[in-house]
Amino acid sequence: MSLFTEDRFDRSEGALAAEETLRMIATLPAPAGLEDRVKAGLQSAPRSGTVISWPLATAENWMRGAGMRAAAAAAIVLAVAGGGWGVYSHIQIAPVPAALVEPQLPNGTGRFSSAGAMRVPQTVQGTVIAEPAVEKQKAEKGAQTAQHPVKKKAKTGVGTSTTTQPKTRSLR
Amino acid sequence: MEIVDSAVHDANRQHAEEAALAALVDQYASTLYRVAFSVLRNQQDAEDAVQEAFLRVLRHRETLGEIRDHRVWLVRIVWNIVLDRKRRAKTRPETDDIADLARVLPATGLSAEQRAAALQHHARVLTCMEQLPAREREVMMLSAFEELSSVEIASVLGVTESSVRSRLFRARNLMAELLQHKRSTT
Repeated sequence: MSLFTEDRFDRSEGALAAEETLRMIATLPAPAGLEDRVKAGLQSAPRSGTVISWPLATAENWMRGAGMRAAAAAAIVLAVAGGGWGVYSHIQIAPVPAALVEPQLPNGTGRFSSAGAMRVPQTVQGTVIAEPAVEKQKAEKGAQTAQHPVKKKAKTGVGTSTTTQPKTRSLR
Repeated sequence: MEIVDSAVHDANRQHAEEAALAALVDQYASTLYRVAFSVLRNQQDAEDAVQEAFLRVLRHRETLGEIRDHRVWLVRIVWNIVLDRKRRAKTRPETDDIADLARVLPATGLSAEQRAAALQHHARVLTCMEQLPAREREVMMLSAFEELSSVEIASVLGVTESSVRSRLFRARNLMAELLQHKRSTT
């Protein structure tokens, strides 16, 4: 306790004095009757954390008995089984037909039909063969002689009134 | 007959659990109160914290048999409770803390002047404690409990023992600096 009265304050001594204060607080006695109050609080506290408070649970330890637990479990099983049977008994199963009837197909063959469509192939676009040049020239020459047969005769034979037939051989 | 045996067994088990819990209250309620008071510095709050700690034990009384060290386990429970309460509570004026301390600290054999000086010193120490970082402050508070070893403090805080030692070393140095600074300014 000399620390409080001396002016000289040592660093380490100060730290020790601080710990002495903490130790003094740590050793303070607990108030009288603390244990009894804690026990009383525990007695009045709920025993277990139940989500829903069951109205019949006020009777002490009524649910602790194994018989009651077994009865409760049996009641739950019966309720579930009864509910399942109630649903099952109300379901009407459709009768099974004696023979299977297949739907009638539109074309009757069992395949897809072409719906009357006809396939038209594309025409082959081949090369056009030109007419031979020799025959073309012959044809032109024959045409000229057929157009001017009188003039030729007039130039060659004066005074002759005979008319000659054009030669058709060249046309061939 | 099996049903009756089972019911008797359940009743016996419940009585055994209640007896074990009552024994824990008798043995450790005082320690838990002091731990709670060192943080909360209020009698009523500390007592409430102890009550809450034992209520938590009651909810998990089936696991009591698995606990290796009941004392450390209970201190850890109450430590978490008081830290949580301290965080949530409104900041109390320092004068209230000092007045509480003046009422509860032993003053036998001290003159009025010495008592006033002691109170001033305690108030200064507590003020400096509040300025410490949380980790260092917690270790220093728990180290004041002589019944707790550094291993047990480490278990309460969930850190290693070497970490407790290093934090305590830093806390002492910081505390000395803060006290020296405060003394030089006043």
